[in-house]
Amino acid sequence: MQIIQLEGTEDTPKVMLDKAKGIYEVSGRSLPEDAAEFYAPILNWLTEYAGQSNPSTEFVIKLEYFNTASSKLILDVLSKLEDVKGSKVVWYYYEDDEDMQEAGEEFSELVDVPFEFKTY
Amino acid sequence: MSEEILKSLAQLYAIITKQDGGVTDSEKTYVVNSFKKRLNLATAEQYIALYDEFLKDGEGKDDGKKRLTSVKDSVKTLGICRKINKTLTQKQKIVVLVELLEILKSEGKESAQQQEIIDTVAIAFNIDKDEYKTLQTFVLHNDIQLFGDENILVINNRDSSIIPGNAKHIHSDQVDGNIFFVRVKSVDMIFLKYTGEDEITLNSLNIGPDDVTLFSPGSTAKTKRGGVFYYSDVLTRFISESVSVKLSFQVNNLEFRFANHNIGLRDINISEGSGKLIGIMGASGAGKTTLLNVLAGLETPYKGEVLINGYNLHKEKDKVRGVIGYIPQDDLLIEELTVFENLFYSAKLCFKNKTDEEITGMVNKVLDNLGLIQSKDLRVGNALNKSISGGQRKRLNIALELIREPSVLFVDEPTSGLSSRDSENVMDLLKELTLKGTLIFVVIHQPSSDIYKMFDKMFILDVGGYPIYYGNPVEAITYFKHVSQQADSDKGQCATCGNVNPEQIFNIIEEKVVDEYGNFTANRRLTPKQWNESFINRFALKRVEDIKQESFSILHIPGKIKQFWVFTVRDFKSKLFNKQYMLINLIEAPLLAFILSFILRYKNNSTSTEYVFRYNENIPAYILMSIVIAIFIGLSISAEEIIKDKKILKRETFLNLSRNSYLLSKVFILFMFSAIQTFLFVLVGNSILEIDGMFFQFWIVLFSVACFANLTGLIISSAFDTAITVYILVPLLLIPQMILSGSIFSFDKINDMIRSKDKVPVVADLMAARWAYEAIAVKQFRDNGYEKYFFKVEQKENIANFNIVYLLPELNERLDFAYENLNAKDDSLLKISINNLAVLKSELRKQNKIVPRLQPQDLELLTIEKMNAQTYNKVKAYLKELEVFYNKIFNDANKEKENYVFALGRLNGGTDVNKLKDQYFNESLSDMVRNATAKKRIVETDQYLAPKLDYVYFSPVEVKGTFDYRAHFFAPVKHFAGNYYDTFKFNIIVIWLAGIFLYILLYFDLLRKLLNVFGKISIPRT
Repeated sequence: MQIIQLEGTEDTPKVMLDKAKGIYEVSGRSLPEDAAEFYAPILNWLTEYAGQSNPSTEFVIKLEYFNTASSKLILDVLSKLEDVKGSKVVWYYYEDDEDMQEAGEEFSELVDVPFEFKTY
Repeated sequence: MSEEILKSLAQLYAIITKQDGGVTDSEKTYVVNSFKKRLNLATAEQYIALYDEFLKDGEGKDDGKKRLTSVKDSVKTLGICRKINKTLTQKQKIVVLVELLEILKSEGKESAQQQEIIDTVAIAFNIDKDEYKTLQTFVLHNDIQLFGDENILVINNRDSSIIPGNAKHIHSDQVDGNIFFVRVKSVDMIFLKYTGEDEITLNSLNIGPDDVTLFSPGSTAKTKRGGVFYYSDVLTRFISESVSVKLSFQVNNLEFRFANHNIGLRDINISEGSGKLIGIMGASGAGKTTLLNVLAGLETPYKGEVLINGYNLHKEKDKVRGVIGYIPQDDLLIEELTVFENLFYSAKLCFKNKTDEEITGMVNKVLDNLGLIQSKDLRVGNALNKSISGGQRKRLNIALELIREPSVLFVDEPTSGLSSRDSENVMDLLKELTLKGTLIFVVIHQPSSDIYKMFDKMFILDVGGYPIYYGNPVEAITYFKHVSQQADSDKGQCATCGNVNPEQIFNIIEEKVVDEYGNFTANRRLTPKQWNESFINRFALKRVEDIKQESFSILHIPGKIKQFWVFTVRDFKSKLFNKQYMLINLIEAPLLAFILSFILRYKNNSTSTEYVFRYNENIPAYILMSIVIAIFIGLSISAEEIIKDKKILKRETFLNLSRNSYLLSKVFILFMFSAIQTFLFVLVGNSILEIDGMFFQFWIVLFSVACFANLTGLIISSAFDTAITVYILVPLLLIPQMILSGSIFSFDKINDMIRSKDKVPVVADLMAARWAYEAIAVKQFRDNGYEKYFFKVEQKENIANFNIVYLLPELNERLDFAYENLNAKDDSLLKISINNLAVLKSELRKQNKIVPRLQPQDLELLTIEKMNAQTYNKVKAYLKELEVFYNKIFNDANKEKENYVFALGRLNGGTDVNKLKDQYFNESLSDMVRNATAKKRIVETDQYLAPKLDYVYFSPVEVKGTFDYRAHFFAPVKHFAGNYYDTFKFNIIVIWLAGIFLYILLYFDLLRKLLNVFGKISIPRT
């Protein structure tokens, strides 16, 4: 499978999706101009991956901030993970960023994927 | 709305309004009003408090450059949307979205954060991107230049050239500023917004400037300057492209006369195109329904014509097949079927090309559109046993026509007996149909103001069938006021509320002259004729363009066999549901059989201690009663069949459904019932009376007469209008069958005028009961388990016996008498002699065929002139010879019979032949078919001699011509077309031929036509 590797910018997150190495990570800030367009390749990648997934998938989300439009697409990403067997979300948040912690908790209630919360 | 949803909404409002630095006053006001609009005050307060609670829950943060929505709020919004998605319909979600956009607008300034959240909500709600965009522009902006979308309609007093893009436009001078409409196509919703200085009301409620309000079906928006915009007008604009039906409906100088030659309608002229809703109003007895019936082609006009696309409705019926729909005032529903089934079978009869799945889909869609989908599995029921409401019934009736989409629809008083709410629903429905291009004529009685104004035109009739108005409904009021010189005549509707009062029209038309004491007299101020003249002078008919000979999309009516099948299934299902009916029908026959046979199981103690079939004297009576019961049951199950369906049949003639298929389905089902009923009857009755080996024979005869009775029942059911008439007729049909069955009264002992000396009287031949009775009696006697071995030989024996004992002595006597009186002076004696010789001649001719000893010329000498001693002696000798001949036959037969008895005894292992006789042979029946009790054993008739005993052994004595079928009662064979047929088979065939004849009568409804002819004869008044 192809590897998706995007360097982060001011408005877009860093993305790393590598099946061979078992790295799945979105990190940084997410407020792209067109969120749907930005996340489309990621969603496509996950759809393809769901059919041939590794035994376990630890999907790391380590975001400082995301806007409302991105939140809908992150939800879509998380929903895709429901179809991936043995998947798990690792939700990183700043130690004192309660907002991000609660956002993660809200997400975990909306989708049927196990969440692990970690601080950094 | 559920609590959970309200809570979610409060939270959503809170999230959105707190963005961009907190809640503004206008935002707060909007939210508060929004709750107050939805809920009662106390509950609203509760949710407003909840809203305030959510507001405190933290605000967004600032990253230095711009305000950012908190990530927590973003995810919460998603959670709320998911909850809403699970509960609200797409339409409700659109309403929520519009409210959210209005919050955004209420702030009055751009807010990127709020905008972003609402955009995300729209995505989460799965709302079409383009529709959302249009809706967003519509709510947020007032600049007409932004409104170029095809789903936008603008009404203003400007030229349509200022309208951008594909937006629709209506020009109206009665509007200040702009009225905008937006249509959300996917859910078929329309919203309205007004920008201008004037006041505008929606359904009589004021709406504020810039408020976005739902413009629901049937709504009316009014401006203060008198502009009225109906939902249908607006919707038409949006969907106008889809209407493609071309139609012209022209009525030219129509006049109608009743059967008694009274004029019902005078000089009616109408000209309409497609997509119009025309009301027909008039005082009671003015001829509204008559007009509707003539226009629909149910009644034939006396003069004038009705042309649909140039085709004459009354003369070229096949060209306008299926184009017309008719919804009468009464129900067309089958009470025993469910809402769904009613519509389903109706649709199945209209669409040949559709599969059951497709039809189910169509039916469900129509039911959904009419708000009947929840009641689809309820039985329709009748007025006493209601399961659906009056409004639902009416809508279902309309649905029957709706589903096949006729081009012209006639509706008779659709709102009578309905609540005002239901009435409006029904009228909305019709109005929406016109949007699809249907031309609808509605007879309407006392319409409410709103309904009255829904009509495109109003046709008003006055007593005597005079047309007195045809045009715009609201203008009608001003016109009548004006003609009657009332004050305020330029005002059609109430200046303040916009209501009209249609009753006013009739008050004006029927205004009475007041006498000098101030009391109303019976005379009208203006007669119908005067109103009519005024109307003709004032209004010229504007004719729509004639569409010539444009063909219609004709219905795809299924073939006759499929129709038959649909009718059968439909009828059977409705019967199956009627448990009482089914139970009674299945139990009645065996129960009667039990009662009858139990009572008639007579044990003749003088012969034996046990019940012996042979000595049961009641068997002939049992046969008769079986036949009477078969006829009675057959009549009673069929007598109401067609009456019950009469209304439905009337409707189905519009569809040109096959009467043959309909009738055959009825016949088929009734025959099935009859088969089962008679089967059960014979099963019980014959078992109890121990009639062995005759099951099938009894059944086939009883089944045949029951079918005959079914057809008779259907004929009267088709010819008469009420069930009670039919039931009164039942005895009239049944009693003659009993009287002339030949069982109760002997054919020998009835009135001379109808009696035949040696044959069954012709009137009795018209009775099915007589054929059935004879069939069973002869079959039972001749072919039972005993007699079948002896019939042939007994026949020989008994005929020989008759000849020896009665015929030859009689002939001798007649010969002697004639010879002695050859030269008698007495005229009467001479006359007898002549007759005697004639009889002698014809009988001897017959005998000479069997024992040929006489020459033809010998017979010629048997006249009073040529007769001499030589001839006398010759005949005498011949008669002697015959006696010897028949004696030999008799003796031989006797011997043969004894042999049979012996052989039969040995065959059955030495058992007594009498046992066989006890089991199968019935003495009373034997006495009857042999006419054993007759006093006179030989009778002279028409110059030949006929036996009066042993009927069952004699073939028809004298056959006249090829087609002479007549014979004496209980003859073992019947003659027809030169051949002799077994009586049992022959009689059954006769009953079925009569059945076929009855079916033809039924098919052409000849009895009804005959009754109509009598009905038309008017008794001249002196």
